[in-house]
Amino acid sequence: MKVELLLTKLVDELNLVNQKLGSLIELNEKILKTQEEFLRVGSDKTHFGTELKLEPDAMSLLSLPMSLRKTVMVLYKLEKATAEDLARETKRLRAVESASANQLVRMGYLTKRREGREVYFYLESPMETRK
Amino acid sequence: MKDKAISIHSSRGGTGKTMIATNLAAIYASKGLNVALLDLDFRAPSLADVFSRGIRDPVRHWLNDFSDGKCKAEQVLIDVSEAYHLKGKLLLGLANPAMGAIRNMMEKSRAWEVTAVKRLFSLRSTLFSDMKMDCCIFDTSPGIQYTSINAVITSDISVIVTTLDSLDLKGVENMLVELYDALSKTTVVLINKVFPETRVWSSERQKDLISRLEKTLKHPVIGAIPCYCEVLQAKRTSILAVDMPYHPFLRNLEEVVERLEHVVETN
Repeated sequence: MKVELLLTKLVDELNLVNQKLGSLIELNEKILKTQEEFLRVGSDKTHFGTELKLEPDAMSLLSLPMSLRKTVMVLYKLEKATAEDLARETKRLRAVESASANQLVRMGYLTKRREGREVYFYLESPMETRK
Repeated sequence: MKDKAISIHSSRGGTGKTMIATNLAAIYASKGLNVALLDLDFRAPSLADVFSRGIRDPVRHWLNDFSDGKCKAEQVLIDVSEAYHLKGKLLLGLANPAMGAIRNMMEKSRAWEVTAVKRLFSLRSTLFSDMKMDCCIFDTSPGIQYTSINAVITSDISVIVTTLDSLDLKGVENMLVELYDALSKTTVVLINKVFPETRVWSSERQKDLISRLEKTLKHPVIGAIPCYCEVLQAKRTSILAVDMPYHPFLRNLEEVVERLEHVVETN
């Protein structure tokens, strides 16, 4: 008799645990869904990139170090350029221009794309990126 | 002066920037050069009124539209050389003086300004390469604003017009360091409206004033033009280089042109 009572109590307790586990699983599913949504938006490069991209406008230009400013000013004129094109305009070494342009890419001022064997640096305003 | 873009700028308003820009353009065109004069003062446009006598048809495309990518460079430019009997070509690019257009330009985003400076570079390239212009003059807005910095970036040489007012000179001093030196641009200063006229009465006095200012500003000063009542009283639609070519103001400006050319040659 005592054993039967104990077993019934155990089943009741297990049912309660089961219910709680059910609600925890439900909650976990909701969390996973939210995370997936967040990651989906984050991995959408156009959207994410647009939000983070700095605007290489004339005022921002004044706050850049002189070495980087020269590179941006050439890109206003050329729109897109390889490190070699930049070096031709600034009359600096190609390696110097490559380093400057890559630093500007890391800072979010420029974008770079490979076209065949060449790597081009672009100065795109977010307005153009949104088009 | 071949394939050169000159921006005419000032630290504050009222220095005579537009008067200098229009007459410089007219002097070059009267010498037989092909000149484009662009009104980049989108907040207080004035060239549409100044040249109203020579603009025969209603303006359909403004520089505002060009900056917005709504029209081509060729559609914006208005040829007024015939109306003013000039030997060379004088093409105008006008800013829209309508209140709505000014408000619209003031609401532009930083992203738009990036596109605007690139459009200005493409306009410059069209003017020199396709339209065979010899010289391009940008009449900018005073102080440090997007349109003026964009013009400075796009130009080869900048002329800062100032009076001898202490606030003007202080503003010029700041701009030379904070803007022009920062952008490594060839920059010269032109003193306008020198008053009283006796301060630059003789060439010795003028040289003395210029040399003192060059020491303070640490940049070339290409002239000191006296304040002439006739210039102040002249109608804004009067292009002095055309209407009063023998006025001393023009003689002074001719000397400025020579010094400007010397600066361009040595840079």
